[in-house]
Formats: sequence, structure tokens, C-alpha cells
Amino acid sequence: MATRTFGEPVQRNIDDRLLTGQGHYIDDIDLPSVAHAAFLRSPFARAKITSIDVSAARAHPGVLGVFTCDNIGHIDQDLPLLIPHPCLVGPRTQRPLARGDVYYVGQTVAMVVAVDRYTAEDAVRLIEVDYDPLPVSVELEDAAADGANLVHEDVAGNVAAHFVQNSGDAAAAFARADHVTKITVRVERSTAAPMEGRAVCARWDRITEQLMVWDSTQAPISVRGGLASLFDIDEDRVRVVAPDVGGGFGQKVLFFYPEEVLVPMAAIQLDRPVKWIEDRTENFIGSTQERTQVHTIELAATKDGEVLGLRDFFLHDTGSFIPYGIAIAQVASTSIAGPYRIPNIEVEFKAIYTPTVPVTPYRGCGRPQACFAIERAMDKLAEELGLDRFEVRRRNFIAPDQFPWKREGLLFADGLAVCYDSGEYDTALSKAAEAIGLDRLDEMKADARARGKYLGLGLGFYVEGTGLGPYEGGHVRIHPITGKIYVNTGLSTQGQGHDTVFAQIAADQLGVDPSDVIVVEGDTGAFDWGVATFASRAAVVSGNAIHKAASKAREMVIEAAANMLEAAPGDIELAEGKARISGSDRAVTLAEVATATNPLRYAFNKAAQSATQFAPASKHDGPPLADGKAPGIEVTDYYSPPYSTWAYGCHAALVEVDPALCTVDIRQYVCVHDCGNMINPMIVEGQVIGGMAQGLGGALYEKVQYDQDGNPRNAGFMDFLMPYATEMPKVDIVHMETPSPLNPLGIKGVGEAGTIAVPATIISGIEDALKPLGAGHFHEAPVFPHMIFEKLGGADQAKAS
Amino acid sequence: MQAERHAIHIVRRGKVVEISDFAPTETLLDYLRLRERAIGTKEGCAEGDCGACTVALGRPGEGEGTEYRPVNACIHLLGMADGAEVITVEDMARDGELHPIQQSMVEHHASQCGFCTPGFVMALFALYHREAPDGLDRTQVNDAIAGNLCRCTGYKPIVAAALDACADPVFDGFGTDETIMALKEADKGKTLFVGDENRFFAAPVSIDELAALYVLHPDATLVAGATDVGLWITKQMRPIDRVIHLGRIREMTAIEDNPDSLVIGAAATYADAWDALSKLDPDIAEVLRRLGSPQVRAVGTVGGNIANGSPIGDTPPLLIALGAETMLRHGGDIRVLALEDFYLDYGKQDRQPGEFVESFRVEKPGPNTAFRAYKISKRFDQDISAVLAAFALDIHQGIIRSAKIAFGGMAGIPKRARYAEKALKDISLNDPSGWQPAIDALARDFAPMDDHRASAAYRSQVAGGLLKKALTEIAGEDTMATRLTGTREAADVGLT
Repeated sequence: MATRTFGEPVQRNIDDRLLTGQGHYIDDIDLPSVAHAAFLRSPFARAKITSIDVSAARAHPGVLGVFTCDNIGHIDQDLPLLIPHPCLVGPRTQRPLARGDVYYVGQTVAMVVAVDRYTAEDAVRLIEVDYDPLPVSVELEDAAADGANLVHEDVAGNVAAHFVQNSGDAAAAFARADHVTKITVRVERSTAAPMEGRAVCARWDRITEQLMVWDSTQAPISVRGGLASLFDIDEDRVRVVAPDVGGGFGQKVLFFYPEEVLVPMAAIQLDRPVKWIEDRTENFIGSTQERTQVHTIELAATKDGEVLGLRDFFLHDTGSFIPYGIAIAQVASTSIAGPYRIPNIEVEFKAIYTPTVPVTPYRGCGRPQACFAIERAMDKLAEELGLDRFEVRRRNFIAPDQFPWKREGLLFADGLAVCYDSGEYDTALSKAAEAIGLDRLDEMKADARARGKYLGLGLGFYVEGTGLGPYEGGHVRIHPITGKIYVNTGLSTQGQGHDTVFAQIAADQLGVDPSDVIVVEGDTGAFDWGVATFASRAAVVSGNAIHKAASKAREMVIEAAANMLEAAPGDIELAEGKARISGSDRAVTLAEVATATNPLRYAFNKAAQSATQFAPASKHDGPPLADGKAPGIEVTDYYSPPYSTWAYGCHAALVEVDPALCTVDIRQYVCVHDCGNMINPMIVEGQVIGGMAQGLGGALYEKVQYDQDGNPRNAGFMDFLMPYATEMPKVDIVHMETPSPLNPLGIKGVGEAGTIAVPATIISGIEDALKPLGAGHFHEAPVFPHMIFEKLGGADQAKAS
Repeated sequence: MQAERHAIHIVRRGKVVEISDFAPTETLLDYLRLRERAIGTKEGCAEGDCGACTVALGRPGEGEGTEYRPVNACIHLLGMADGAEVITVEDMARDGELHPIQQSMVEHHASQCGFCTPGFVMALFALYHREAPDGLDRTQVNDAIAGNLCRCTGYKPIVAAALDACADPVFDGFGTDETIMALKEADKGKTLFVGDENRFFAAPVSIDELAALYVLHPDATLVAGATDVGLWITKQMRPIDRVIHLGRIREMTAIEDNPDSLVIGAAATYADAWDALSKLDPDIAEVLRRLGSPQVRAVGTVGGNIANGSPIGDTPPLLIALGAETMLRHGGDIRVLALEDFYLDYGKQDRQPGEFVESFRVEKPGPNTAFRAYKISKRFDQDISAVLAAFALDIHQGIIRSAKIAFGGMAGIPKRARYAEKALKDISLNDPSGWQPAIDALARDFAPMDDHRASAAYRSQVAGGLLKKALTEIAGEDTMATRLTGTREAADVGLT
């Protein structure tokens, strides 16, 4: 048996290419005579358009086309509602180009296509639009209040969706509780800000009548389906490729953005390739964002701290449209009980329209908010009952032998009841306590005090439903000439390292080196069954599909090699690219096996000679290819999870606050996490630390800000503060591996693991640090220095003086 | 004027390339991506914040070798690259072998989606070729990549890769004698004028030529590092037809380090002025370290930071507290102004048409002067200060004889705190109970604003806190212990 690479820190197959500048993103695709698109976007959060005059733009030299809602044909319609749900009471999606109304600053109003981007931008400035601005209610609570200005005139109260779910009997639990803890928490809006913005390039080929679209998307197959449907073209005449994608983090899973349909439309109409590359400002005003929720959470507990029931009501800001349905709010509401048994749960939310950039999932998708709510509530419960924060958690953890733990009545984002598959929560908590040095906490606090600082312990536990369905596929083929393994799946990469982990999975089955596995993904021309990369699902769903396909390919290789070597299948082992009789040097290469199983007419190389009709090995007792057999070694298989696997972890931090300057310094950070069996711990760590950096942004730095008129105030990297290297504290990662019982590889997703618990952890640390100063509770994320200043009573002092 | 050259010369892959047909606003990034099709260099923000477009520019160093500095190609005007070797990510691997930086990044899993990666490679290439190659800790690596955003990796693997690769002696085939020869061939040392009277990129080589040219074209845009002007082009889409680049004027890039004073040419870059300014006081070094990024400091100038009158520049308060003067020149006339008098109001400076800032003169703090400066912002690197404070106290036998205090972020311009200065006069450093009137006086000096960076009340609190902190430190407390990330850095050196 070959050395298994599963579980090894195998270096990435793609890196030599990316490190030498050979990565190919959309703007790097060079097509002859390509034209460039630029967009005119709404400068108002809410307004009526009274007139649009494009004559000057149309007359501008170099302009090939100017488009408004009046000349885009039948695509002038509401874009699809991707995830319909019965609780959507007023679902609204946007049109490619505004017709009559604009609903947020940044909404596309007109498109110019010109010979280059500069000309297109110049012409955009020549378009004259008259607007009648309308009054707006921008803040979530204001938009939800009685008498709020409406985003959509026909959606009362700005309520897009209203949903209640129950598991057990919360009312009874509250009735018999000794104690009820109630807090309100608020998490602010952030944005994914991938380093490559969105981008689309399209070409209509008149000869093959094929629409070719390169799209920096997380969902090429879904985009293909949508384009075929929208343009009424057969699916096989639309090919969508997501080449190297420069980050997505959820922002690129939504389709359709207006640009994604308008650019292909222009390519067809103008019979010329068209490209659009989002600039950074556009990414802040034209690409979806996420996070704002206000939760009021109540815990009903015994005096010993056992939580009997939970009630959570929250408002979810969905921005001006709700194309992705209630996914975020649903994930938040079904993750709200965290790792705790809490048998009685009532969750209710309202998704509210605000005149801002539409909201769809961003890495974490509702979980950071849920984690912040439950974890801050557990801390408050501990405080009110006079219990230790660790102890109150321990008393409520689902024990290892209690899995599967089902929350009947709570339907997760996949439409199935929440059911946690496996975990060792108590162990994770203990490991976090140990790694952060809990036993030395008092000493460390005293040391900080001696330096005029205050140190606190941050703690946050998260659970994450990952790897949800419906399914993905894996296609495995052995190349007859090189013997390399060719693997396809339908979803695409956004930089996670799929090509390497998928290669490891196939390599293990077929006894080759992962570098000899060629993974092609994100190309509907290569494989077109499947969904997309999101919700920490690629490794779980595609990974297991590839594993299943590769296992079957392995059986085929063994059977064929046994025939070729005249040995028993049980004696064949696969290693180093060969099938060998165990304990001997008699072997055939995978290339030879793939060739031999493909009866040939022509001998195009030496190995092929043995597969031609006059070769000694050729059998002549029937047709060269037996009935029911396919040539070569090629298998396609699928994996469809019975329900989501639940990863989890515990974060802890030492957080130091300077009370004079109200600055925060994270002295140490610990991530204990469990994503089941790890395919590649190096890539897992990359996901965890990278996610942690985004969580850090959400805890201390990043907030998308709008003024009261709905104008974005920090739509750029100068003002939207993402962490640089210096912001990253010392991070220790502790891996746990509790296999998932749900899939052959025993894995769970890890894409969002690092992000979820960071705000809860760091902000609880700030609160703990400032307890001696009576600063009170920190129930908002992120926390900025001026908020600490106000909690310390500074604002009052300043007023008084 | 007598222009002697009508084309720029850059060194690409060992060869001198002549470029004569370019618009004054063409960026180096557009040249690379659109003309050369060297598409490895990426545009991530077009405003010099993310560093995805970082390339290395090589010029002859002070010694014998080549000095490599990272620049943001997205806001670097092509004409400014005149005379430099331009190295992009595609040039790094040689004979199929990855550059040590690239190899180390592979080994440490320092790339995920790969979009920011070329920029990190080039920023680290500059670190690899740093001037003082001894010892390297995490803080220095963090500083070297303080102009590079990554949204995937959380930076840790990149830092680890840098520490590994930069631990070895430089051995990568760059900066050889051939490089120097090519650079000498490329650098013609003559005045450049590309275009016509209506639209040009000019780079005079003497201050007299500049003065004459600017009098002729008082509406031309003077460009030193283009870290601001670049954004006028890429973000505000301002039409700029006439550009005069100052970077080739020796007299304006020079730094005169006298025993009692520093004279800094207005076109001296932060990178060039780094040593001289840092030597004035460790706190100045600490502020400079956080001013922009290596890419910004490589081309951004002290003069530009001051002359465009930005209310958020970090340098003016430092220099005002040190009593700096600015020299303004119009044709042959020179005017000297105290730096604080240069700032009239928000966005308004005391500068006449055709007049330009030639240099600054800074008195070096004497033995009786105690200096402290602090930058307070949410993020450590590349963040606009909520408050920038600078204090210079003249102390005799524990008594404050006089004080110069300047703040940024507290008003529409960098401004002295004259009431607080007065309140400190003749106060004992050793009796903290006497400090409060000065702290309270700040409320008379400033009425700061609420904005999305900070609230007015918080700014006031911080201003008072910083004055107290300065006095506490000058009275004897350890600076490192109170520095913002000082304790973490001290504990964390070498760790990844």
C-alpha cells in the first residue's frame, strides 16, 4: 500500500504558479478586440428616477453601446429569488438596471461599453440622470420601527420575512426556571472584501453559437443554469469558467449580480467580447455585505446554571433586496443554542429591508452573530448566578455519548432538522483553558495592572453546520499516455487549496503522488453537475464524491492489473504509479493499465501497441470492449450528505486594555477546533488563521458605515480597516479530530471555523479586563476605542468638565 | 527651457527600455499590464492601500550596490520610474528555480487565492535586499508588509516565510554589477520633457529649471511621490495634463545633516529621510514606522506630506513641535515661514501661485529638550490618526521652561496647543498634581470633531491622556512599557 497522504501537510500543487505571477484571474484574460464595460450607479439611497439622458455618452468617441433598462430586452426583469422560502412575506430582488426607482447608493442605473475602460468611464460621466430623492430610514432598528420610511412602497414595515421556529416547549421551560438572563446584542455590518473584486468577461461565438463566460464566481454551474434560462439558450451552449478566483468568502456565491447578466448580454448584442472588472469602490457599494443583526436573547436556567430554555428574537438587516432568501437569518437562528443541550428553544426573526447594499452570506453567515448572542448570554448567566464561566458551559455541553443530538423543529439551511453528528466539547474547552494559561490568569492580570493596563480573558465557543447538500460529484480518469490522474468536480476554488486536498484523496486510492493528480474545477465544460463552494462544504461534499469515484477506479485498476499480471486481485497493490503483485517486482504502470483497458486500432506509442488488435494480450473471444464496459479507467460518482456535519471549536484570548487611551492589545489567542479528520493540516491551519483574521476585523476594526442619508462613509481600504500583519496577535491552533460518522472520510468543513467565535471571544475579553473599573457589559461588535471610552464613563466626564 | 531628453529609460530584465510615448498620468501598473502584458502584477485597490500591485524599483545605492524599494505601481506614474530597474513577480524565478522568497512562501503555505501574492513577493524581495541584513524579527517583517493586505492567510505563514528566507545571505542574482551598468546606461541625468506645452511629463534636474518651468506653467501639478496625486488620477479621475516631477532634482532630494539642524529637501522621500529623522528621537521613528507603508515611504516625500496641506498628515505636528521652518520659493525669491504659519485653514495653505516648497529646516532637540510623540489610530499600520500628538519640552532642573505642543486630528489643520504650552511654563516635572491645568487647557486649544474615525469627546480624552503620558514618561517612566504594541512586540519578537 502506498503511503497515505491523507492527514499529511502536503504542499499545494498550485503554488508555483501563483508565486510566479502565473495565476490567471479574469482581468488577465486577454481576448482580441475585447470591449470594456463601466457602470453608472445611483448616488442616492432611495430615489425616483425622473429622466435619463444618454445622448452625450452615446456620441462619445469610442463608445460601442450605452444601456439603460429600456434597451436590454427581456432581461429587464427582477433577477431570480435564489432560495425561496414560505416565510418570505415581501421578497424583492433587483433588476439589472434600475427602472424608475433606485434602492441603494451603488445600484446600477446604466452601463457603457467602450473600446477601453477609460473611455467607458468618461462616457459614464456624460450620462445625465434626474432623481427625486426620497426620505430614508437607514439604521436597522429605525427601518423596523413603526412609521419608518419604506424601502419598497408595497412592503409594509420593511418586513421581508418573518419566521418562528420551536424545538421543545420554551414557554414551559421559562415557567419552571429559577432564573432568566436576558441581553440584547448587536453585530454590525462588514464585507468580504476579497482582494480580487468581482469580474466578468463574456464572448459570444457566432460560429459555434456558444456563449463563453469567465466569471470570478463561487458558483459556475449555477451561473450557467441561470444564464441559459435568462437568455433562453441550451445549457450546452453556455460555458462558464471560474478560473483562479481571488477570494470570495461568500460574496461571489450570489448570482446574479447585474453585471453578471449585463456583460454577457452586451457581448451577444454587440457581437464582441466584453469585460468588466469591479474596482475597489464598486466592491464596497455594489457587492453584497453581511452581519447586522440585533438579538434579544433570554436563557431560562436552574439555579445551578443548567439552561432549560432559550428564546431569541432578532432583527436581520437584509439591505435593499433579499435575493438569497432567509439563509443568513435561518443559519443564525438554528445555530443559536451553540454547543449546549438546551432542549427547549423558541427562535423568531424578522428580516428587514434597509436602503443599503443587499445582504447575502459572508464567511460565517449568521453564525458569528448567533455565537456572539449565546456566548455573551452564557457569560451573563454565569455572572448573575455567581458561577464560573467555564463551569456554566460545562454543565450544559452535549456529552460525547449524547450524539447524534437532534433539535427537532429547527430546520437548518438545508431544510433538514438540526442534528449534531459528533463532538467532544468539554475536551475542547479544557484544551483552550490550558493553552491560554488559565491557571496563571490572576498572575497575568496583576502583571498588566503593574503596567497600568487591564487584562481579561476572552472566551467563545462555536458550532458550525458544515458540508450541506444537496450534492457534489467527482469524476476520476486515468490518462492512458501519462498515467496521471485527472479529477473533476463541479464546484470552484476561491483559493482554499481544493486542487491539493482533492488530489490527496484521489492519490491515496490510486497509489500516486498528489502532484500527479490534475484537478480541474470551476469549468462547466469539464464537469457540470453540482452546486457551488460555500458553507464550508467543498471538502466534505466534493471530497467524499471524489473519494467514492477514486475508490471505484481503484477496484477497476486492480481488476485490470490482475488480468494483465495474471495474479489474484487480492495480491495487487497500488503504489508509485504502478499496480504490483505484492512482494514481487512484477508491475504494470497506471498508464499501461489505462491503455490496456482501452482497445485500440492505432499504436500511437509503445504502451499503446499492447492494446491494438494484433497484440498478444488482446482477447478475441468477444467484442474488444465487453458489453456493459466502458473504455479506460474512468468513474463518476456523487456524494449527497444525509444532513450537515457539525464542526465546532473553542477560542480563548488574553486581551489587554489601556484605560487611558482605550486601546486594545491581544496578547495571545488560542483556537481549538475540530473539523473531524483532517485531509491536510497545513491547509486546515491556513483556513483557521485566515478566518481568524477576518473575525478579528469584525471584533475590532471593520464596520461598513452609512450616514443618515444612506451614503457609505468608508467605501475604501483607507477607511474600512482590515487587519494588516501587525494586527495579528500570537495565535496557537490546537487541532482535535473527532470523525464525522456521516461520510466515508469522516470529515467536516473548516472554511468558516476561524471566523465565527472571534468577536465573542475578544469582546468578552475586553469586558472581563474592564470589570475592575466597572465598565459594564460589552454587547456590541465590533468594539472601537471610543466605545470603551464611553463605557468607562469618559463621555460623561467630558461633558461634566 | 532646454529639455534634453524626450524619453524615459527603465531597465527591464537586464535591458534598457526607452519609452517616449506616454501620457503624463499613465501609471506604471498600466504600462506593465496593458503594454508589456506583464500581468503577474495585480490591481487590488488602485489607491496604494493593498499592495497587490507592488513592484520593486532598483536604483544605485549609496554604496556600490543596487538599492531596491517596493512601490505601488497603481499610483506610480510611469515617468517617475525613469532611470530605475523595474522588477515584477514574473522576473523573480530564474532557470526554473523559484526565488528564495517564493520558495519559502510555498513551504509555509503563504498563498491561498494568490491575488495578493505577487505584491507580497515583491515587498519581501525588498526586505530580502534590505540595507542592514543582520537579524530580523517579526516586527521588522510586519513593517515590511505593512502596505500589503491579504484576506486569506491571516499573514502568519507569510511572516514565517519571510523570516526563513531572509535569514540566509542574499543570493538571487539581482543587484549585480551588470545591473549597475544597465542603470548607469538608463540614467541619463538630464532634464526630461515628454509631450508638448499643453500636455507633458517633465522632470527638471535643477531647482532653477524647476522654478523657471513652474513660473511658465503655474497650473502644472508638482509631483514628488504621487502617493496623493496618484489617487487624484485613479479615484477622482481628475484630468491632469501637465506634470512636473521633482524627484530628479538633487538640491530638492538632498538631506543636509548639520550638527544643530536638519535641512530636508522638499522632494526627499521618507525612505531617504528615515535615518536623519529617526535619529532626532525614537518617538519620531515610531511614528514614521506607521506612516503609510514601505511602498508609500519609498516615494512619498516629507515635502509632499506637508505642502498639500492635508489635515491628517502625521509629520506636520512632529515638525511643528520641533520648531521647523519651511522655505518657499517663487522664481528666484525665497520666503521663510514657521511651519505652523504655513497652515491657514482647512485645505488652505500660505502658498502663492507659482510658489513651491523648497525645503524644511528642523532644529535638532538640544540636551535639555525632552521630546515625545504618539500616534493614536484604530489600526496600527496605514490608518489615519484619530489623534497625533507631539511634545517638545525645554527642561531645566526639573522645571519646564517652555513647551511646544502640536496636535493632528484635533482641528482642521495641524495646530499648536498654545494654552496648554503656557500652562506648562515653570511647572515642575516631578509634581504630577501641577499638570492638570495644562491638561484642562487643551479644551481651550481645541474643539475637535466627531467623525467616523473617532468621537470628539474621545479625541479630547486622548489628547489629555497623551499629554499626561508624555509628562509621566519624561518624568521617568519607561517608554516601551507604555508604547501601544510595545509590550506585545517585546514579548513576541521572533515568534510567528
